[in-house]
Amino acid sequence: MAAMRNRLSFALPLTLAVASLFIFLPFGSSAEFSFRSYSQDGKLMHSLAPYRWIVEQPEFLSHLLLSFKIALFAVIFTAILVVPSVAWLHLKAQLFRPLVELITLLPLVIPVVALSIGVQTAFPDWLQSTEYELPLMYVVLALPFTFRILDNGLQAIPLKTISEAARGLGASWIATIFYVIAPVMRRAVAGAFFLTFALSLGEFTLTSLLHWDTFPTWVTSVSQQNIIGAIALSVFSLTFAFLVVFFASLSSSRSKKRMDATE
Amino acid sequence: MRAKRLVVAATVAALFTTGLVVATAPAQAAGKIDYCTVQNLTEAGGMDALVTAAKKEGTLNVITLASGWANYDEAIALFKKAFGIKIVNDNPDGSSAYELQTIKTAPAAKQPDVVDIGATHLGAEASDTLGRSLFTPYKVATWNDITPTWKDTNGLWYGDYQGTINIAYDSSVTPAPTKISDLSNPAYKGMVALGGDPSAATESFMSVFAASIAKGGSVDDIKPGIEFFRSMKQSGNFVTVPATGANLATGAFKIALSWSFNGPGFIAAAKGIGKDLKYVTPKDVVLKGSPYIQAINAKAPHCAAARLWEEFLFSENKGKFSKDLTAADIKQSGSKVFATIMGGQNIFNSGAAHPITEAAMIKKGTLIAPPAGFEIPAGVKVYSPTLDQQIPQQAVVKTMWPSVIQ
Amino acid sequence: MTNSYVSSKGVSRKGGTFARRNLIIAAPLLPLLAYLGFFFFWPMFAVVVDSLKNNDHQWSFINFTTIAQKPYSTAFQNSILLGALSALFASIPGAIFAYIIEVRGSERLKGFVTSLSGVLANTGGVPLAFMFIATFGAQGSAIKILKALGVDLYSGGFTLFSFSGIVFVYLYFQIPLMVIIFSPALHSIRSEWRDAAKNLGATPKKFWTTVGIPLLFPSFAASFLLLFASGFAAYATARAMTVGNIALVPLVIGTLVDGNVQVDQANIGKSLAVGMVLISALAMIPYLIIQHRARRWQQ
Repeated sequence: MAAMRNRLSFALPLTLAVASLFIFLPFGSSAEFSFRSYSQDGKLMHSLAPYRWIVEQPEFLSHLLLSFKIALFAVIFTAILVVPSVAWLHLKAQLFRPLVELITLLPLVIPVVALSIGVQTAFPDWLQSTEYELPLMYVVLALPFTFRILDNGLQAIPLKTISEAARGLGASWIATIFYVIAPVMRRAVAGAFFLTFALSLGEFTLTSLLHWDTFPTWVTSVSQQNIIGAIALSVFSLTFAFLVVFFASLSSSRSKKRMDATE
Repeated sequence: MRAKRLVVAATVAALFTTGLVVATAPAQAAGKIDYCTVQNLTEAGGMDALVTAAKKEGTLNVITLASGWANYDEAIALFKKAFGIKIVNDNPDGSSAYELQTIKTAPAAKQPDVVDIGATHLGAEASDTLGRSLFTPYKVATWNDITPTWKDTNGLWYGDYQGTINIAYDSSVTPAPTKISDLSNPAYKGMVALGGDPSAATESFMSVFAASIAKGGSVDDIKPGIEFFRSMKQSGNFVTVPATGANLATGAFKIALSWSFNGPGFIAAAKGIGKDLKYVTPKDVVLKGSPYIQAINAKAPHCAAARLWEEFLFSENKGKFSKDLTAADIKQSGSKVFATIMGGQNIFNSGAAHPITEAAMIKKGTLIAPPAGFEIPAGVKVYSPTLDQQIPQQAVVKTMWPSVIQ
Repeated sequence: MTNSYVSSKGVSRKGGTFARRNLIIAAPLLPLLAYLGFFFFWPMFAVVVDSLKNNDHQWSFINFTTIAQKPYSTAFQNSILLGALSALFASIPGAIFAYIIEVRGSERLKGFVTSLSGVLANTGGVPLAFMFIATFGAQGSAIKILKALGVDLYSGGFTLFSFSGIVFVYLYFQIPLMVIIFSPALHSIRSEWRDAAKNLGATPKKFWTTVGIPLLFPSFAASFLLLFASGFAAYATARAMTVGNIALVPLVIGTLVDGNVQVDQANIGKSLAVGMVLISALAMIPYLIIQHRARRWQQ
């Protein structure tokens, strides 16, 4: 057993090394391109010039903020709609879980191209004229994943037991939700939110087919004139997402430690 | 008594007739022009009136006008600068099918004013579920210079420009390719690409068509072209990656078949990645594609601006480009501004597209010089497959391409 | 879950009928279901209706008979294969990676991995294709490194622009997807069970074959299915890497519905979409059976 444990102790660093290679080699190759610029006579230089160009574009900030807004609303809609539903499903309505699970898998299988046609034929004009159409649809696109993340996260927790215990000890429903249910769901909810946010920031196909101009569609239009600029934009988006994830996990672990200490 | 009745009758008749005349008089005569029903410049009240009305609308909705395509960048910039009208370009990289689908399903605010579609999309696709055309008729001032084959007799649609299939290549490639049939040279291993999927993109479809004619096929037989690409795939010359700027940057391809009018834009963009891109008209076959088609959307939200845009695109003026336009020029009256700026047909020519009014312009001497290297070499046969010839070959490509190329 | 208030006729002694009780339980789920009904099922219904109409706008099954033949049947075969292979090659590494993180990683690392996986699972399209072409294309960084080490992949016939190349690129988002979906299921391998098995004298191998793998299998199968659906329906990445040489259903739908060449065959595109749903529904049946059986003893 001890020998096996020694073998296993290599596992984590090795796995992380392999994973890092797999993730960051393609990203790094793309990033190398994003720093390139060429002088008039074709000489290659590496600098921040493409990124400076990006930030100087007037449409950069407007498109980025628009995509942020849309992503934020997608997260909010998910929080309001999906999180309570999954919690309820585990608390009281376990009978319906297989059915709901099945239904939530469907948006995954429909190619977005077909969905966009359906949306344009079915939705009323007023809905298609507001950019909030996009976060509402992104919630649907993310649902197969967000549902699964939340559902799986709750499967491991005896939610019914602990909430009944809390109620039995005299806690109100509000208190139970805030002090018992919410903390145990935290990791799953964070995962669901990040996924929704990332999906919204990067969604291109449905957005362009519905005639909207967000950050990803703007990047594509940029690529016609400034090839390296467009590459730099993609690298920027991914880097930004990585950084958000990194800093968010730093802060959440601090509060988690605090919570662990009180138990 | 009788006289009184006669007078009354006569007055009523007179009133009735006057009312009839007034009611049926054209709206124009009454002084208020409905630009959504105007069918030519005269009905619009002349260029000054049209420009004023268009400026009042303030915006023009265009769709799928890609940057670097037939120099639309310049057309848009010049129109914006000269008339101060904002241009909204929906999905610049979209397809012709996307344009028509948008007209059919998009809400009123997102309707395009004008479209520029591939000729194969005319017909059933360009009609609504009741069989009515999606477009509204308008005949531009230079209507008579447009080739009769490529305009609708009622003015619903009209061809604007056409391109030839050229060979684009990185100047580092040796030997420099001059013929399409050259591309199977082993020196070009891993270098040759198409713009996209021939069953989806007209440019790629025409590229295969050009290859077919170069390899002994004809406008009625595209199979030799498909076979040519199959053998190039086998030998490793043909790389099945879309010929985009990013892929050029990574060296995924070095040679591509492309519309001539993509040339100037792509060459400029390639400089940014340190590549000296060259375009050359093939010496063995010059394939001229069907013209792209202009039309005004029947549901256009900005009717006057749409019509001004069409007059602009079909203007044969030899005038100023946007960079040379001065503030003093812009201050002039509408018709004078229009006469000062470069006409759309010439702008297309500067973008290595062949304007539809080319023949007339050459006669009148109003055609500006095309960019260097894009002239059609003398003595080379020019092929122009008609729509009737294209459509069956499209079906062949759709069936054969994935199974043959893999 | 039993309901002791229900007699064989479904009428309860207490608190109303069986149906009414279930209605009360289901009520808070209505917002989600109504949302899906409007934002998903209604557009899809529009697609289904159109798929049953021919080019003259009349009811017809012609679209469905057409897609059962070549070249569409080839596209279905290719797409199913792509989904299955990308799911296979992603699910096993993904599951192993998730397990190691779960067992050996700190809480902070677990959170980081989940969130990072959420970002990576959404990469795709032109940016992802570019990353891989810049790395594994003929002039790619990895290819150059390997050449310096004496290994020339491209002269050996390897190319990124092939069916296997696309499967390879898909792994970049399929593996993170596996990690996200499968990780939480690993909680259910309660450490108490591992310790108990150890105390009873079971070797790790015995533990896994009798307890671990059977316990995890339903979740693994469910995750595999999700990965299959994801690879099956993915569009933007394949589009950025092919020129129609590999027939895939989402790509064909794209060209029919949004192409430049074909004349008005959008309804075939819609019937292809309906076909995709039907195939996925078929794949979900074994999933449901597995889930049903497992749920009984998992509570």
